Amino acid sequence: MVDIGHIALILAFIAAVYTAIASTWGARSGSHAFATSARNGVLVVAALYTLALAAMLYAFITKDFSLKIVSDHASKDLPALYTVSALYADKAGSVFFWGWLISLFAAVLALQKHGTYKRITPYAISIMAVILAFFLAMVTLVVNTFEKNPIHPMDGFGLNPLLQNFGMLIHPPLLYIGFAGFAIVFAFFMAALITRSSGIEWIGGIRRWALFAWCMLGIGNVVGMWWSYNELGWGGYWAWDPVENAGLMPWLLGTAFLHSIAMRSKKNYLHTWSLALIIVTFAFILLSPFITHGGIESPLHGFYASTYPPYILAAILITLIGSLGLLYIRHKGFEKEEKPLSLVSREGAFLLANIIFVVLVFLIIVGVVLPRIVEGLGGGRIALERNYFDWSCGPVMLLLVFFMGVCSTLGWRKSSWSSIRWNLLYTLLPALIIAVAILISGIGNWYALAALICGFPLFTILLEWFRGTKSRRRTRGENHIRAFFALIWNNKPRYGGFIVHMGIILITLGVVGSSFYGVENTATLDIGESMIVGKYQLTYDELTLKEDNSILSAVASISVDRDSKLIGTMRPEYNYWFAWREPFSEVAVRTTPADDLFVSLVWTSYDPGDESATFRALVNPLIVWMWIGGGFMLLGGLVAFWPDRRRPPGSEVDVK
Amino acid sequence: MKKRYIIGGVILVAAVGYLLYMALGSSTIYYVTVSELLDGGSNTYDTNIRIAGKVADGSITWNAEELELGFAVVEGGASLPVIYEGTRPGSFKAGADVVVEGQYHPDRIFRATSVLLKCPSKYLPEE
Repeated sequence: MVDIGHIALILAFIAAVYTAIASTWGARSGSHAFATSARNGVLVVAALYTLALAAMLYAFITKDFSLKIVSDHASKDLPALYTVSALYADKAGSVFFWGWLISLFAAVLALQKHGTYKRITPYAISIMAVILAFFLAMVTLVVNTFEKNPIHPMDGFGLNPLLQNFGMLIHPPLLYIGFAGFAIVFAFFMAALITRSSGIEWIGGIRRWALFAWCMLGIGNVVGMWWSYNELGWGGYWAWDPVENAGLMPWLLGTAFLHSIAMRSKKNYLHTWSLALIIVTFAFILLSPFITHGGIESPLHGFYASTYPPYILAAILITLIGSLGLLYIRHKGFEKEEKPLSLVSREGAFLLANIIFVVLVFLIIVGVVLPRIVEGLGGGRIALERNYFDWSCGPVMLLLVFFMGVCSTLGWRKSSWSSIRWNLLYTLLPALIIAVAILISGIGNWYALAALICGFPLFTILLEWFRGTKSRRRTRGENHIRAFFALIWNNKPRYGGFIVHMGIILITLGVVGSSFYGVENTATLDIGESMIVGKYQLTYDELTLKEDNSILSAVASISVDRDSKLIGTMRPEYNYWFAWREPFSEVAVRTTPADDLFVSLVWTSYDPGDESATFRALVNPLIVWMWIGGGFMLLGGLVAFWPDRRRPPGSEVDVK
Repeated sequence: MKKRYIIGGVILVAAVGYLLYMALGSSTIYYVTVSELLDGGSNTYDTNIRIAGKVADGSITWNAEELELGFAVVEGGASLPVIYEGTRPGSFKAGADVVVEGQYHPDRIFRATSVLLKCPSKYLPEE
C-alpha cells in the first residue's frame, strides 16, 4: 500500500509537470485539444495525489513504522484519532497535505462549467499546474515523504502530548484549506492579468473562493488560539510567535484583498491594488513553511525545524518578483478611474482601511525579521519582546475595528455631510455615551476605550439592520422576524460581512478584557490550604495519583468558592509522560460569560508522602467572547459564501 | 490631487515611524554569552539579556513555598548564578539546556524573568 502511494505521488508529479506544459501551450496557442488535455491532466493529478494521501493515511492508521514519517510522529499507544494529526506534525507531511488540497480545489475548478470565464480558465489551470508541480517536487524530490527507515523499528517516537488535542486536529487543516483556497484565487487573478480581462464576468465566482479561503484561514487562527489557551498552560492565546504571525499575516492581507475587490466603484475589478494584494498574500502563504519555530527561542512551537533548502525560497521570491513585475508592466493599460476618489466616501474609507491593513502587516514583518537584519549587519544577536508587537500592532488593530464603523457610515461615491451627521447621531453618540458612563463608573479606562471602539461599528451594523428591516416591513408588509432574515438572505455578501464584523467586535472585547484586566496568582499549597485569585477562593482538597502504560498522572481536586459560596470543583492535572520523560500540565478552565477561571497544576513531586503542589491560577475576563466571536466569523463567512440561486453567475451583487 | 497624496504619505510614514520608535525602544533583548556578561560588568546592568547554557550539576535550589528557583548556568567554562521567582518548569533538571531571560544586577546575580527549556531531542528524534 505504501509503495502504491509512493508511485502514485511520483506519477502525480510527472502528470503535474505535463499539465503545466500542456496547459501553458494550450492557453498560448488557443489549441482546444491541449486545453482539454490539460484539464484532464489536473483531474489525473488530483486522483493520483488522493491515492497517495490515502496510502499515507493508511500507513498512519495501521502504524506502519517502516515509514520514517510514521515512526517519527506516531507510536503504538497513540489514539487512532490523533494518528491523522501526526501527519501534519511533520513539516513535509504538512506540505504534502496542503498540496493535496490544492490539487483537489484545482480539480473542482477544472470540472466546473467554463461558459462564464472560458478565456482565462486555461491560464488559471496552467498556473495551478505549475503550483502543483512545485508542491509535488517538494514532497518527492526535495524531501521524500515516503522515506523508509533503514531498519524497521518496533515502535515510533510518538506524538508530542501537546499536539494530542482536538484543536490541533483541526487547526492545521483549516489553515491549509485557507492557504490552498488563496492559491486558486491567485491563479485566477494572474490569469486575468495575463489575458487582460477586466473581471466582471469572473469576479463573482472567484470572490466566493476568496471568501471561503479567508474564512477558513480566520477560523484556523482562532482554533489555534483556542488550542494555545487550553493546552499549553500558560494562560494566554497569542504570543506573537513567528509561526502565529505566519498564519495571521496572510489573513490580514486576505482581509484587505477581500475589501479591495468589494469596492464597486470601479467597474474594472482588475486594479493594481487588488492584484498587488493577492500576489503578496500568496507569497506570504508560500513563505510560511520557512518561518520556522526557531526551536529554542519559541518553546510554544518548537515542534519541527525547516527541512527545505534555500533554493526553494529563491523560487518563491522569483514568483513574487515576477508576478509584481508583470503587474507593473500591465498596470499602465488598466482603465483609469473617471473621477478622483473622494476621501469622504466608502471607497475612500476602504482604501484607507486597506492601507492600515498593509501597515499592520509591515509592523509584524518588521518584528519578525528585524532581529535577523541586525544580526546580518553585525549588530549582535538580539530578540524582540512581545511588547514590541503589543505596542505597535495593538493600536493599529483597534483603529481597524473602529474603521469598520467608519466605512459603513459613509455612502458609496460621495457622502453628504448631513446624512453622515444623522448616522453618527445613532451610532457614534451612543457609543460615546456608554464609554463615558464606563469611565465615570470606574469599571476601567480600557473598557471605556473598548466600548467606544467596538460600540461605534456595532451600532452602525444594528442601525443598518434596523433600517433594512423597517423598510422591508413597510414595503412588503413582512413581520419583524421574517423581514430581518429576508434582509440577510437577499444580500448575503453584505450581511454575512456584517456578521463577521460582529465576530471581530466580540474578539476585540475578549482581547481587551483578558489583556488588561486579567489577574494571576501562583502558590504552593498543602492539602486543605487555600489561595485567592480575583474574587475566587481556591481550596486544595485532594491529590490523586494514577498510573497507566504511558502516563503517571497527578490529579488535584480544588473547590472553588465565590462570596463564601461553593460554586464548583476543578481538576487540573500534572501528567508525567514516560515516553517523553517529562511532565505536561492539563489545565482546568471554568468558563462564565464574565470571565474564565484558569487553573494549572505546575509542579508536584509525585511522592505519595508529599502532596504539596504549586498552582497557577488566572482570572481572564471576557475570554469566552473570543471563541463566540470565532463562531460569528464562521457563520458570517458561510452566509456570505452561500450560493445565490436567483442571480445568474457573475452578475454584480451589492457588496459591503 | 498630487499634494493630497504627498500629505497623506507623510502622515502615514510619520505615524508608522512613531509606532516603531515607541515599540522598539524598550523591547529589545540582547543575546549575551555568560563570559561576556561576567566581563561586561556594570555596562550590562539594567538591559534585557538572554542567556543560553546548561544548568550546573548540584546548583539547583527550589523553594516551593516562596516559589524561588536558584541555579547556575554554565556556558563555555563560565558560570552564572541565577535566581528566578516563579514556577519550576516541568522538565527542569541539572544538565538541561536552558534559555534564561532577565537582568544582571550589581550583586552579581542574574534575576531571571523567564526560564525556558531547550530540549533538542524533545520534538524530533535524534538525527
